[in-house]
Amino acid sequence: MYKIKFIFTCLTLFIACVVSGQAKKPTLMVVPSDAWCIQHGYVQSFDDQGTEVEVPDYKRAFQNNPEVLQVISQINGMMAERGFPLKNMESAIKTLQSNSAEDMLRQSKSGGGIIESPIDALKKAAKADIIIQLTWTINNVGPKKSVNFNLQGLDAYTDKQIATATGTGAPSFSAAVPVLLSEAVISHMDNFTSSLQDYFDDMFENGREIIVRIQTWDNWEGDLEQNYGGGDELGYVIESWIRDHSVKGRFNTTDFTENMMLFEQVRIPLFDASNHAIDARRYLRDLSRYLSAAPFNIPNKLVMKGLGRATIILGSK
Amino acid sequence: MRKSAILVFLFSICFATVKVQAQWKKNKALADTKIWRYDIECAGLGKQGSKLVKVWSYSKNPKHAIASAMRNAVHGIIFKGYAGGGQGCTAFKPLVRDPAAESQHQAFFDAFFAEGGEYLKYVSSATDGQIAAEDRLKVSKREYKIGAIVTVMTDLLRKRLEKEGIVRALNAGF
Repeated sequence: MYKIKFIFTCLTLFIACVVSGQAKKPTLMVVPSDAWCIQHGYVQSFDDQGTEVEVPDYKRAFQNNPEVLQVISQINGMMAERGFPLKNMESAIKTLQSNSAEDMLRQSKSGGGIIESPIDALKKAAKADIIIQLTWTINNVGPKKSVNFNLQGLDAYTDKQIATATGTGAPSFSAAVPVLLSEAVISHMDNFTSSLQDYFDDMFENGREIIVRIQTWDNWEGDLEQNYGGGDELGYVIESWIRDHSVKGRFNTTDFTENMMLFEQVRIPLFDASNHAIDARRYLRDLSRYLSAAPFNIPNKLVMKGLGRATIILGSK
Repeated sequence: MRKSAILVFLFSICFATVKVQAQWKKNKALADTKIWRYDIECAGLGKQGSKLVKVWSYSKNPKHAIASAMRNAVHGIIFKGYAGGGQGCTAFKPLVRDPAAESQHQAFFDAFFAEGGEYLKYVSSATDGQIAAEDRLKVSKREYKIGAIVTVMTDLLRKRLEKEGIVRALNAGF
């Protein structure tokens, strides 16, 4: 019995060691850029209070343009070879649609349906932590053709461009467009993965960069300029907490009013004290608990958006 | 009996001399290019996972420069990289970014770049060893600069270096 217990303990410790120590892996997805979609006519237009708005119609682009599939497939293949398989946008859109259909039809034995708030419905979109935005244009100079290729890696939370590869391929008289596109992907992917590697190296050294928002419910009686327990104003208390809990104290207070605060470029550690990987939500949970406890006693709601963005709304759950 | 013994003896001496001379030539070729004096440039678009490069090697003997081209090409891909250029070439950053990595892993690289070393697995000649006339330059009275086009299997090479812990993999730490 003692032996079994010992083996079990060793096994648990081993699994704990293997599982912890790995940062949360961001998801990547290749998305055709708005410019490309508009240029090729894959858009949906609607009237927004008198202004005509065009939004990309990705589904139609995937169904009608074999070139975009070829390029995305080639990029996916090359990233998978680097141990970073990408989320396939076309599949993600299909899965969302089939999930929606299933959720609408699903019923419990007691007749209940799946509950979905408007926010839940809004959040049902194909998303990734890093969007690889893809644009290309074909240049025609006389009989010569060349491809202008642009690949941008965008952090979905900070909106920063974290990786890039762009350039124009060699002009050709005879090569078909798919061949030119294939050559463009081959020649640019190394530079792209190289800049992505720089971003990851920086993340491991200086922490993950996130966005933190503090908001207040309109029925809350307090505000961020209020003093609690004879201390500093609540806004400064929150700012000090962020400073003390960010890597090397790195953050920017972008906006600060009595109702809201916005912190950008907040560098959070990749692991907590028990060496478990954390994201923006896990990081802010401690602030949420801190504000819920005395002397503040402020009930609050913590909402998240992927790995890199979280909001605390003060005043109620 | 005595005659045949003398013949065997003479034959052995000849064989040993040829072998020693061959080894001396190899060592001389290595010594000629030991300081990694070469230039590397993109020579076009290679297949997926590989790079087509032209390596300009310097040596007193053109044959040594040709022999060193492959070794220099692999070294260039690992430590130098190259700027972009014509023929659809884009700039390529070296696989190893840390300048100190070569000395830190000296034992590995010494064995890797040794005569007949592992580097040969990751490089092949793109022109069957033929050197174009314009790529055979005499740069001084006693020195040649020889340009050879070779293909370096960069993906395989990178994986090998990742396995050795010299290069960090893209998914390392996740």
